[in-house]
Amino acid sequence: MDGHDVQGRLRVSCLSQRLKAAFHYTVGKICEKFAEENDVTFTRKLLPLFSEAVCQQAQSFAVDLELFANHAKRTTINADDVKLLVRKNPDLLDRINGLCDAETATNEMLRENKKSKQRKTKKPSAPTAISDESNNADS
Amino acid sequence: MDGESQPPTFKKATVNSMMQTHFTDKKTKANQVSVKLMTELLREFATEGAVRSGIQAKREGLDMITIEHFEKILPQLLLDF
Repeated sequence: MDGHDVQGRLRVSCLSQRLKAAFHYTVGKICEKFAEENDVTFTRKLLPLFSEAVCQQAQSFAVDLELFANHAKRTTINADDVKLLVRKNPDLLDRINGLCDAETATNEMLRENKKSKQRKTKKPSAPTAISDESNNADS
Repeated sequence: MDGESQPPTFKKATVNSMMQTHFTDKKTKANQVSVKLMTELLREFATEGAVRSGIQAKREGLDMITIEHFEKILPQLLLDF
């Protein structure tokens, strides 16, 4: 039983190490791109610090999101929780709202296409242009 | 993947499991839209950190961004997110 617990804990720590490594990689990419575009260099020691800060921030976001969802008596976090998370930064809120609207629009379009596809299978005389559109949206 | 056209960003699966590891209740889940928004939010945070450190370094007349520059912009960065 004890051994099992240790193994479980090891697995969790291994997973979080891998997640941190993944974050580190992406933060490195972002810094690299910025450095290339603006002709500056980052000290090598800064990168681990920076990615750690991003990880910590992600953790704080996750905790807040869970609390927001629980407060709304939900167990699934949705877009409204994220909007609540960024409510204090108006520019960020605008951006998130725009993204969210775009996302729901594409989702609805996909659903419409699916519906029209189903209709098409029932009625073979439907125009072929719709199926082309849906194929583009899927890809 | 194609690093030319799209800006580098986090993988959705990474962000999702990162959030999952920090939830206190194992039943809590995040839907697809929220994970996408979180990915964007974290990318924005990382980009903003890099940009502000760069500005701080430029303000001090340096091309090398050091830990001190990052330390100086960190408090305001955390307040803004």
